[in-house]
Amino acid sequence: MADFIKHPEVPLPDLDPAPSFSEEELVFTEEERAQIAEYVRRYPTADGAVMRALWLAQEKFGFLPPEVIRLVAETLGIPYAQAYGVATFYTQYYKQKKGRYVLDVCTSFSCQLCGGYDMLHYLEEQLGIQKGETTEDGLFTLQEVECLGACGSAPMLQVTNGPYVFNLTPEKLDALLEDLRAGKMPAFTSVTLPQDEDEMGGNRRSDAPQSAVYETPPVARTLE
Amino acid sequence: MPKVTIDHQVYEFEGRPKALQFCLDHGIELPHFCYHPAMSIPANCRECLIEVGMPAIDRETRQPKLDKDGNPVIRFMPKLMTSCSQDLADGMVIRTHRTSEKVARAQQDTLEFLLINHPLDCPICDQAGHCPLQIQAYKYGPEGSRFEFRKVRKPKHIKLGPRVMLDGERCINCTRCVRFTDEISKSRQLTIIERGVRNYPITPPGVTFDDPYSMNVIDICPVGALTSIDFRFKARIWEMSSAPSITTTNAKGSNCHYWVKDNLVLRITARPNAAVNDYWLPDEDRLDYHRFNENRPDGPRIDGRPATWDEAYARAAEVLRSVPGEGILFLGSAHATVEDNYLLTKLAKALGADVPRYIPHVEPGHGDGWLRTDDRTPNAEGCRRLGIEPVDEAMIRAKMEAGEIKAVYALEDDPVAAGLFSAEALANVPVILHPYHTTNETLPVTDVALPAAMVVETVGTYVNCDGHAQRVRPAKAIRDVNRTLVLEMDKGRPDKHGTPFDRWHHEDHQVNCRPSWVSLPAVAQKAGHPMPYKGPKYIMAELARTDPAFSGATYEAMGLSGVRLESVGEAV
Repeated sequence: MADFIKHPEVPLPDLDPAPSFSEEELVFTEEERAQIAEYVRRYPTADGAVMRALWLAQEKFGFLPPEVIRLVAETLGIPYAQAYGVATFYTQYYKQKKGRYVLDVCTSFSCQLCGGYDMLHYLEEQLGIQKGETTEDGLFTLQEVECLGACGSAPMLQVTNGPYVFNLTPEKLDALLEDLRAGKMPAFTSVTLPQDEDEMGGNRRSDAPQSAVYETPPVARTLE
Repeated sequence: MPKVTIDHQVYEFEGRPKALQFCLDHGIELPHFCYHPAMSIPANCRECLIEVGMPAIDRETRQPKLDKDGNPVIRFMPKLMTSCSQDLADGMVIRTHRTSEKVARAQQDTLEFLLINHPLDCPICDQAGHCPLQIQAYKYGPEGSRFEFRKVRKPKHIKLGPRVMLDGERCINCTRCVRFTDEISKSRQLTIIERGVRNYPITPPGVTFDDPYSMNVIDICPVGALTSIDFRFKARIWEMSSAPSITTTNAKGSNCHYWVKDNLVLRITARPNAAVNDYWLPDEDRLDYHRFNENRPDGPRIDGRPATWDEAYARAAEVLRSVPGEGILFLGSAHATVEDNYLLTKLAKALGADVPRYIPHVEPGHGDGWLRTDDRTPNAEGCRRLGIEPVDEAMIRAKMEAGEIKAVYALEDDPVAAGLFSAEALANVPVILHPYHTTNETLPVTDVALPAAMVVETVGTYVNCDGHAQRVRPAKAIRDVNRTLVLEMDKGRPDKHGTPFDRWHHEDHQVNCRPSWVSLPAVAQKAGHPMPYKGPKYIMAELARTDPAFSGATYEAMGLSGVRLESVGEAV
């Protein structure tokens, strides 16, 4: 984002890209079609299901080139332009091919203060790539992202739109890369809500039973 | 009736109008960009903000609370409301920027935000001069800018399709164009992509914006983000004058403005008329202006040689007198006005000839049930109402072969190009023609050519396929300055002040032609059948009085939006 402030240029998308998938590849299986139909049933109109259907397509194809977005739109029976608008709105839908693991390192305010950039630069060194790039083996893509809503556990990163990894340290990142190279995704770790703290023995995080007890800040009177 | 108070003034209203539309209908201007009366209301430009309050109601008595002066206590909503989406309610009190400092400030600040990333393109932008953003920035916007940083740069001059050019930077994301393709033309070819400061409208990859109504987005774009590839950089708006008229590409007669500079028609834009075309115009109507400027004749001709108008009239009258009336084939024209065709029927009747026929130009499959029709002529219905039927080609050709046709008098059409006759068949018969163009294929075999004024140069009436009678007005001057035409010509600001760009300046582009309602009576006069009409207005007044098919269609009644005629017989 810092680059955008220095050079605020919005590129034109490739309006006539070479397709990444062949006609034969561009099909949903019966199960996938049934799943999309199930999504459609949950909403009053078919365009309500566009985000879930795009998500399903991204999990199947890995990313969303225009032909996949068109396939989704045709499957849902909604305008292709509309599906394309939705897909470009959300950064979590990948319009370009990414590595197998996408590491989204947060550098927004809280993470920045707690060393988010240090973590980002450490990963850049370890992987030998700049942010926004993919390693040559196609395993990792490194991205700098805006706040992912886990400021309480800063700095943090997210792996491929999935599990968060909290309280990053270089050691933790080394272990994470090792695990990912071995094909092991980090486990999902939940963040305890304040009202559940009693059960958790005062811990806000289920993944850190040994860490120091969290002191919950006083709750404002208006919320009681 | 429920009442609403706007700026201390009380108005009555019916139904559930929106505040913005109600204000606009009552002459209260409110700045706005995204709102368009024909489309859904997204309320995303945030420019039409107003303060809205309702009378406070006492919970116990269910009566409005009164202050110590006996006036109802008004509770204003804590935030400003968008007037475009605000339903009126009984007792509502509205403050616009005229009475509320808060609203004026909010509108100014919204404009400041809209202008943050707007490029300073106005000096080279086609929209400058009639740009809602420009106008409203002057009227309601801040003075100068506090934004001292680099503006966001977005793709410029991107061809979205064959006719529409995108300038992403100028866009303020009002989504009018996207809503137009979604709701009006239904082609659904546009979308807003990306988010935040990066967004702008574009077609998705692999899609061309080739909607047959695509150029309407140029009209409704409140900035210069979408411009016409055809008209781009041709002329500045303030150098042009415009005339309200109708298009003649098809039988719908969509209302339009003809924009003229130096006596050349340079562009055609839509003119709202709820009875015909609403706010829209098909692209084919907009691009159909080259025929007004190119291949135009330079005065009358006798046997292909230039002649004066008087000589040509005399020669035409001589031809008409030299053959028996029943031997003359009169061809009316669905391109010509009702007045011209009416005069032709009168001339035919006076000479004892058969009722004129017209050559139909129907292209099956061209129509779309909306503003494009199979019929490519503007006045077939007008001809039908005058009793002029389409030609029976086989019968006419048989008559021609049998030598029963001794002369042909054709109004504003091209019988050879239309395939009615071959040039050889007409070679031995005297032909009088009122042509529009020098490329008219009947001209080589024409004895007397009396060049006719086209729709942009004449005064007259056209009846569209639904029986809607509409007037046309001269948009450009012709060589022969006719008092009626001059008086009918709407004087634009440049004309009044005599800039070098007015309609009278360049004689080069003034075509030497005459309206058929000038030429036909002149020929009739010389042939011994005077038609003492002072002008088309009086011709139409006579028709409206005497012919039930045109009842009520006087110039006064037709005005700018036309008159729906009573249906007569079978539709064409």
